[in-house]
Amino acid sequence: MYRGREGQWAFFLHRISGIALVLYLLLHVFDISLVMYGPNGPFNRFLIFYHQWPFRIGLILIIAGVVYHALNGLRIILLDFTPWAIKYQRVMWYGVLAVTTAVGIPVLIKILPEIFGGA
Amino acid sequence: MMAARPRTLKDARAVYSTNSELAWWVFMRISGFLLVFLVFAHVFANNILTNAGTIDYDYVASRLAQPSVRILDSFLLGFALLHGMNGLRYSIDDYIKRPGVRFWVKVIAYTVAVAIFVVGVMTLWTFTFDEMGAAIRDLTPAQ
Repeated sequence: MYRGREGQWAFFLHRISGIALVLYLLLHVFDISLVMYGPNGPFNRFLIFYHQWPFRIGLILIIAGVVYHALNGLRIILLDFTPWAIKYQRVMWYGVLAVTTAVGIPVLIKILPEIFGGA
Repeated sequence: MMAARPRTLKDARAVYSTNSELAWWVFMRISGFLLVFLVFAHVFANNILTNAGTIDYDYVASRLAQPSVRILDSFLLGFALLHGMNGLRYSIDDYIKRPGVRFWVKVIAYTVAVAIFVVGVMTLWTFTFDEMGAAIRDLTPAQ
């Protein structure tokens, strides 16, 4: 589908992560709003449902999307507002991927044991 | 149909026929920059400092009792919804070609977003329907 170079992949991942994040945001605000029904309302039952491992893996993917979208967004801002950044757009995208991975590894080390035991 | 989104402020001024599209272009960059800090702080507090698998009513209640959380999360809610829904609008315009379908998808998306904003503000600032009910009763003259 995408045969372009790095810039096109950067755009594609920004799109996909952005759409995922806004859909998550809508769902997340709705879920948290259930606290309005009070301590004996549906909130805790909902949360126990979301504490199952597939949803927690999904949350890790959402965090990865947040980190990528944020860093690539900063790259876009630099491209738009500085005269020099365009020369380095490709290397900056690899930098975005590298920092996303570098942030992701300790996040995985923190969260995976919470899900699968050992924490 | 525009071939590509402009890459510089000068291009954006030249390409966008309306001031509102230029304003949205600028807004995406300003709100995006602010959201980097707001979202990172939010994710760090609730996923790294906390085991997200233990979050329950008491945890949310204790967080929403803090004025700083209410204020920061209010900015987060407003900026994230505007930034996210405008991004979704770009995506709808790019991928949904049929005008009728596009129109109704947007109507549904904006309706949901407004409803979620109202529900989010209520959650942050009134906390429980009981509390809200009491506040409304206090404002209503006795029968």
